[in-house]
Amino acid sequence: MRGKTITTTVNVDKPAKALKKKSGIKLDIGTKTILIISVFLLLLMVVFPLLNIFTRAFDESGKEVFSTIFTSEVVRGIIRNTIVLGVVVATLGTIIGFFLAYAQVKLNFRGKKLLHIISLVPLITPPFAFATAVISLFGRSGIITRDILGLTPTLYGLPGLTIVLTCSFFPVAYMSILGMMKNLDPALDEASASLGASKLKTFFKVTLPMLIPGFASSFLLLFVEASADLANPLVIGGDYTVLASRAYIAINGEYDVPAGSAYSLILLVPGLIVFIVQRYWGERKSVVSVTGKPTGTPTYIENRIAKFFLLIIPVSMASFIVLIYATVIYGSFAKFLGVDNSPTLANYRYIFSGIGNDAIMKTTIMALIATPIAGLLGMVLAWLIVRKVRKGREALDFLGMLGLAVPGTVLGIGFAITFNHSTKIGETTILPQLAGGGAIFGGAVAIIMVYTIRSSPAGQRSAIAALQQINPAIDEASASLGASGFTTFRKITLPLIKPALLTGLMFAFAHSMTTLSPIIFITTPETPIMTQKILAEVDSGRFGNAFAFCTLLIFIVLTVMGLINLLVRGKPNSSSSASNTPIVRA
Amino acid sequence: METKMGSASSSSKLELRNLSKVFGQGKEQVMAVDSIDLDINPGEFITFLGPSGCGKTTTLRMIAGFETPSQGSILLDGQDVSSLSPDKRPMGMVFQSYALFPHMSVYQNVSYGPRIKKLPAEQVKMDVSAVLDSMSLSSMANRSPNQLSGGQQQRVALARAMVMQPKVLLFDEPLSNLDAKLRAQMRIEIREVQQRLGITSIFVTHDQDEAMSISDRIVVMRNAKIEQVGIPADVYLRPASVFVADFIGISNFLTVDGVSSAGAGKAKVNVLGRAIEVPAHKEALNKESILLVRPESIRVKPAQAGNASVSGTQGQVKQVVFYGQHVEYRIQSQVGIITAVVSDPIFSEIVPVGEYAEFAFDPERSWLLPADS
Repeated sequence: MRGKTITTTVNVDKPAKALKKKSGIKLDIGTKTILIISVFLLLLMVVFPLLNIFTRAFDESGKEVFSTIFTSEVVRGIIRNTIVLGVVVATLGTIIGFFLAYAQVKLNFRGKKLLHIISLVPLITPPFAFATAVISLFGRSGIITRDILGLTPTLYGLPGLTIVLTCSFFPVAYMSILGMMKNLDPALDEASASLGASKLKTFFKVTLPMLIPGFASSFLLLFVEASADLANPLVIGGDYTVLASRAYIAINGEYDVPAGSAYSLILLVPGLIVFIVQRYWGERKSVVSVTGKPTGTPTYIENRIAKFFLLIIPVSMASFIVLIYATVIYGSFAKFLGVDNSPTLANYRYIFSGIGNDAIMKTTIMALIATPIAGLLGMVLAWLIVRKVRKGREALDFLGMLGLAVPGTVLGIGFAITFNHSTKIGETTILPQLAGGGAIFGGAVAIIMVYTIRSSPAGQRSAIAALQQINPAIDEASASLGASGFTTFRKITLPLIKPALLTGLMFAFAHSMTTLSPIIFITTPETPIMTQKILAEVDSGRFGNAFAFCTLLIFIVLTVMGLINLLVRGKPNSSSSASNTPIVRA
Repeated sequence: METKMGSASSSSKLELRNLSKVFGQGKEQVMAVDSIDLDINPGEFITFLGPSGCGKTTTLRMIAGFETPSQGSILLDGQDVSSLSPDKRPMGMVFQSYALFPHMSVYQNVSYGPRIKKLPAEQVKMDVSAVLDSMSLSSMANRSPNQLSGGQQQRVALARAMVMQPKVLLFDEPLSNLDAKLRAQMRIEIREVQQRLGITSIFVTHDQDEAMSISDRIVVMRNAKIEQVGIPADVYLRPASVFVADFIGISNFLTVDGVSSAGAGKAKVNVLGRAIEVPAHKEALNKESILLVRPESIRVKPAQAGNASVSGTQGQVKQVVFYGQHVEYRIQSQVGIITAVVSDPIFSEIVPVGEYAEFAFDPERSWLLPADS
């Protein structure tokens, strides 16, 4: 039976309206309980810290920071730096992401699958891998720049940051645009051709306009992530101070929490603006054809010259990434990359000793604990949003995404402020100290909470997309056959969203292992985090150790991702479900 | 109604009492179903028929439990089920999209309900095999839904609902996704199964042919209310309103005057210059009324030579369509365009376009009904 073509509006960022009239059933007791628990968790882990950082930011020195936004040239400069960095990275990242997506959809060449994998690799890469590799290769004493080309460029600052951040974040643009392009009906191209338009004209008049919302949304997303990034400005930023690094210095250097809060709250502004703009401007959604079954074969571009030009950027980017990885891995086995390239295991011996080992074990364990919780939370929220809750759906969706929407520094500082002491109502303690030295479990609870709240949004988006694909009549059919809500979820819904769940879990683990900005404010001697250790090694110039840590981290991430894959056992639909997963590393 | 094989005792009665459903709030409120009262007899096949938005699907979904009534109650064998969740109601539903579970085989789909009920494995196997057999699906037991044709998917959906031996079977426009020929075939199959098992069934459709051909009674709905309930003959030959008459089949509405009673259920009227006695709806005498004449009731003959006029029972043929078994005319008459269908036409008597024709109908075949606004 040929699938019918339904044209519907699709917005990746908003829960779409149900296929039929929303069911008017009152929620049963079980669902109500789940809803209450989920909302409570979100309030505790996101809203509570946010409120606290807000209030703190308006304390003395914080107010000073705010008031100097318009008067102090220094503060204005920092804001300017942040915005410029965001814009540059967003632009480059979107362009690169577009070319890569275009190559996947429109060109046929050997190694296409490999290109796809390489395009996604930065997502599971620790933040410092790129920065340290780039410094080693292209820095003042860089292997390529000094030894091969004889140049001594200044990489620290905007140039280095641009390179590194673009490499780190273009996969987000790539996945988003790829998802959109895959949903474009090939019949549109055919219609255009039948009306006399050349391929080039079709591209500019049909394809491109339909992709513009996707470009815009990628740009905005990249802007928010690049401007909020903390790890790279600390390592390769040099004198180029951005809001995130300034906040870090304020807290860890000057012990001025209000000022630090204030700086990171300024970061909240572009993020929230972007969020709101996306939601409301998303009313004019892109009209994308959604077919039940493919209605046409994709037409590849055969023209060799066109192919060549279109592949320049993708191939360059891919080669660059491979080069970076090669540097990291090679560097982990070298005494001092660039200076003494003789092979050694000293770096690895170092990271596996004492503190290093501790960090490796603890980080992995905490990430492993957080991953299923994040997956479950994201899935439950998605189920509530798509199937159960009618009034307040948008609010619930927004609340679930908040953990990822706020910059990492904001969340981290908020957590530190909130959980560095026990939570009391009046005289009674309702929560013990969860973060910082002296906390229960050495502060692991707070770290696991941060991991959870930062990675559940990705799972939420992924599960929402998957649930929307399922005809709501299927749930009703199950009910008409006597299955309770929970049984229906277990036997019908869950098996059908397994691929989405899988993607969510895998990225949750990868994200938790590689995140830095929220964690840096709540680590303790008892809960050392790998990314924090890498930062320490890079700061001390011990690149070899840093490379070793990075290599090991990548190895752990790949192994666990593979295990999750085997465990949940479904075919991970890497492009279409992943395209709905916004990945942030900040 | 014929006796059903051995199930008359287990057929259920369904009653709808003052059932209403309102969507939205305040100014945006929409009354989807407005105070419906209906008794559905045990073993009956009743169809809700009406245009889109008339409330038929909403009513069905309230019976199933997928919508909560804003007012009123639903009684199954005397017990109020309105507050029961759908999984607790002993009703089976066949959906428009079939809603087969894509990750399960045909067998797994059909055995889903019994497995939920935790019936013993042996019994499940027996029941499922029997149902699959009766619907000629045994050879496809291990296929997955996307390997089946539309008609086969429909049968699986039906089998899945039936294996539960529900007290009531609900059909939500199950045939809309099929092509015309398959539709005609499947509706007969559905009716046969229903009659054999004697399950009280409620069928929703906007297709009048469907409704007429398989229902014991038809409920015609419009704008959230019931317009008429009756057996197909009632609804077709004795419509209660212009809407019902117009919705089902083709109608000619002739203006009349001089309406007066002529005994029980009859009226004397002047129409087309003649005074005749016609069967009448009881409301027709109290209000302004109009005369319904179905096209198949009108006989058409060429007008007498030299008599070219539009008056009385004579008019000019504006359109003639020859369908083989019948001829369809559009004739300009004194009271407007009249549609006439002449079956088994005599070749020499087919009136060409532009010519004049005489038309007549047996007063017993007409029907006086209230002319609503």
